[in-house]
Amino acid sequence: MVEAFAVASGKGGTGKTTSALALGMALAEEHDVTVVDADTGMANLLFHAGLADVDTTLHDLLVEDPALPVGDAVYERHGMSVVPCGTSLAGFRDAHPERLRHVVAELAATTDVLLLDSPAALGSKSAVLPIVLADRTITVLQPTVPALSDGLKVREYARSYGTEGAGVLFNRVTDESAVERVAESSDRYFDGPVLGVVPESGAVRAAREAGKPLLAHAPDSPAAAAYRDAARTLDVDAGDADVVADRFASAVVPDPP
Amino acid sequence: MTVHGGRLVHSRVVADLGDVLDLALEEAITGYATVEPQDALLLDAEGVGVLALEAGVPVAARHTGTGRVGRETLAELSVPGPCRVELYERDRPVQFADDPSNRIPPGLPADRLVRDADLANRTRSAAAERGTGERTDADALEAFLTDDDRVDAIRREARTEARQRAAEWGLTDALAEPVDSDVAVDE
Repeated sequence: MVEAFAVASGKGGTGKTTSALALGMALAEEHDVTVVDADTGMANLLFHAGLADVDTTLHDLLVEDPALPVGDAVYERHGMSVVPCGTSLAGFRDAHPERLRHVVAELAATTDVLLLDSPAALGSKSAVLPIVLADRTITVLQPTVPALSDGLKVREYARSYGTEGAGVLFNRVTDESAVERVAESSDRYFDGPVLGVVPESGAVRAAREAGKPLLAHAPDSPAAAAYRDAARTLDVDAGDADVVADRFASAVVPDPP
Repeated sequence: MTVHGGRLVHSRVVADLGDVLDLALEEAITGYATVEPQDALLLDAEGVGVLALEAGVPVAARHTGTGRVGRETLAELSVPGPCRVELYERDRPVQFADDPSNRIPPGLPADRLVRDADLANRTRSAAAERGTGERTDADALEAFLTDDDRVDAIRREARTEARQRAAEWGLTDALAEPVDSDVAVDE
């Protein structure tokens, strides 16, 4: 039983990684959660999750003919399973993005919720794959016109691949009234409700510097509370295990010629 | 001297703008305040700083002498010492408040010119309650999402791009709709 979410934004700096880990921790209170750093070109989840020094990462699973089992890159942290990605250029160069499908399929067999921390830009196959593979997208947006514009673009890409919308998470919000006024348009453009409104917070940076997810570092902060609310709003619909496994197995992501 | 007409409700030399901003906020005055720092009086500088008010909330600023607008006006007025302040009430907001380059965040005068965080917070709250204030995020977002043509153009472009890229990346078969239905993409 699993539902896979791509945590996407279309723009850097919106707090996708912070959001993926925060939602993951909040959802882990009720579900088995696995968070994957699917941003194989600009990985940073390992820094947020205190995994900067680990030996095995997603990169090792994406090489041609990987020698290591998927489980070797899965780390149990803060009540959830975390699959970090490495940051070396060599690791990125040797990675075969299409192998992400196999990794996701295997992870899907043993978890309820898969959160794929997705790349910001959509300029490559590896960047778009998390959106292709996910059941639904969670669009993380700062309440600015450029961010909304990029978010619309990501959403449209996802829709093209039949990936549904779970809603919008407004992040780094300094003016809540701005969000209130656009909330009613959210459903129309992002195929889902406003899941949450997370205020701009110094606690986020402090958590990142401490190498901990926000909910572990500052569980009582307003931002952490907003993420917990968002997780409650996100109605996880874990599909039938066989159907899901079959879907990933048959996802048409051909190997390169 | 009145720069934008209206009825004079308050004129005083003050140590800072706190009382005047507070009065405007409490009375929900629409109009403007002129501000002339003492050093400007001494130097015989021309013009005054004008703060446009909507329902008591400062929404825009400009300087009639230097031509500075928006936040820069506040920087210019942010000098220590007394200043002459005149508060005028009008039936409708002054016209220069409509120009985005003149707009200022509602709490900024209280923050910068008075350094009164409580007044700044009350001003921001009033701006939110009275539906006035900074035409930045909230207004810009609302304008963007209600501009159907603009939004549709972005979505249509993204849809076309997604399908072109899918072909480049060998992901065509993963698309929700077969490529043949592309005829509808550029409708």
